[in-house]
Amino acid sequence: MARIRVGPADEIQPGQPAFVTHGDIEIAVFRLDDGFRAYRNRCPHQQGPVCTGPVSGTLVATADTDWRLAWVLEGRVLICPWHSMEFDLDTGRRIRAQSERLRAFIVEVENGEVFVHVGRQAAPAAARSRA
Amino acid sequence: MTRDSRKPLGLDDVFIVDCDVHANEPPEALAPYIDMPWRRSLELLGRGPQRYLDIPGYAPILNLDPPFPDRGLGNRTVTTARQMRDELDELSIDVGILFPDNLLKIAVFPHVDYAAALGRAYNAWLADAWVSRETGLYGAVLAVPQDPKDAAEQIRTYGADDRFVAVYLPVAGLRPLWGDRMYDPIYEAAEEMGLPVMLHSVGIIHPHFPFNLEHVESRIVRHPINHEFALMANLFTMIANGVPVRYPDLEIVFTEGGVSWVPFCMWRMDKEYAEIPTGAPFLERPPSEYIKEMYYCTQPIEEPERARDLVTMIDLFDGRDKVIFASDWPHHDFDHPRKVLNMPFDAQLKRNIMGETARRLFKLPVPVSVA
Repeated sequence: MARIRVGPADEIQPGQPAFVTHGDIEIAVFRLDDGFRAYRNRCPHQQGPVCTGPVSGTLVATADTDWRLAWVLEGRVLICPWHSMEFDLDTGRRIRAQSERLRAFIVEVENGEVFVHVGRQAAPAAARSRA
Repeated sequence: MTRDSRKPLGLDDVFIVDCDVHANEPPEALAPYIDMPWRRSLELLGRGPQRYLDIPGYAPILNLDPPFPDRGLGNRTVTTARQMRDELDELSIDVGILFPDNLLKIAVFPHVDYAAALGRAYNAWLADAWVSRETGLYGAVLAVPQDPKDAAEQIRTYGADDRFVAVYLPVAGLRPLWGDRMYDPIYEAAEEMGLPVMLHSVGIIHPHFPFNLEHVESRIVRHPINHEFALMANLFTMIANGVPVRYPDLEIVFTEGGVSWVPFCMWRMDKEYAEIPTGAPFLERPPSEYIKEMYYCTQPIEEPERARDLVTMIDLFDGRDKVIFASDWPHHDFDHPRKVLNMPFDAQLKRNIMGETARRLFKLPVPVSVA
């Protein structure tokens, strides 16, 4: 398993991931409110460059919203630029299709520097950084 | 080409013909090719704002949807042959058959002379700036439905040019549908020139069946009606009015509807025909037999939970040599060729779908790698 340096944590801004490569694997590191997430830049749908897409929110209407349209998860929804598939950056799972998910990697922050561990896939919960 | 037959076919192992890629034709690009007084119209249109496939008087959309942020990345365009060739190379696509962007909606124009002039300008622009055997970019002659006689002349003109391999029949906003006898001159010319006709659908809201969707709230409903239902409706009329009987050497291709609606059309039409044979007096055989002889482009390829079901679906209409790959590049719902190639088809079916069937259908040169 390789430990890849990404860069200073304070240079990774919300919605603007930092990219690193390991062999032919491209990884994007995103900043969320509670730390960092790292995902492979490949959409499970048609292998598009999912992490180059915008980070936004999404539209839902559920019992929790009394079946009214609501804009939710602002800043947490990654949208694939190829076919607009939506993924929750917190978990890596596709929104409304939980069985599909992005490949996640473990992220660490050490002395203000961000690192990802490449070589084995992290469970979504384990992928969260110690920010 | 030598390869380990035990390995799955890769993109570089197969000859890939993409039966649907889109050349963007802004009004100012066509202006030099169009007759007066329409040149003045295109020059004026070229000075205005150009929203994606929505230019009043040129590609009008009745766009009723509330917009949301960050969903606009699907608005890709390809504006030069060089750009198209480079992007198809990135996708490992050897040959592309060109369709328009804005003029996908040409059938909606009530002004017959203007529509016909636009069609002529588009064909001339393609011939001048896009199609080339060397780059593997081929044209589909735009047949303007409002003026079938003029369209037939265009087919005879460009059908003699080996850089044009098909006839494009616009579907969006069409009235009447393509089975109508008024279109006979188009079919006569296409058959005479040996060019397959390709019906290509696109999203639109318009007063004509089946495009009268102004009451439908969601795009997720309108999109398949615009595409698959429109193709089905056109197919039904073509069968009922005997297009494949009256033009037996005419090849008919359906573009941008996937394939899963084909068995339904076969069986439903056979059922109707058994009960009401007077409804299709031209037919010499059950409708399904004609439908099986037509061609169907893959995009948007169905993605069933069990991918194997797609193989079954194709076998239901004996489609192993009738299904042809299309990406719809660069539109928002394009299919990467990898998606189709990785379906659980056997190697020969993969080769057929990805390029071999289209190569025969469009009489394309045999590439060195498979010669």
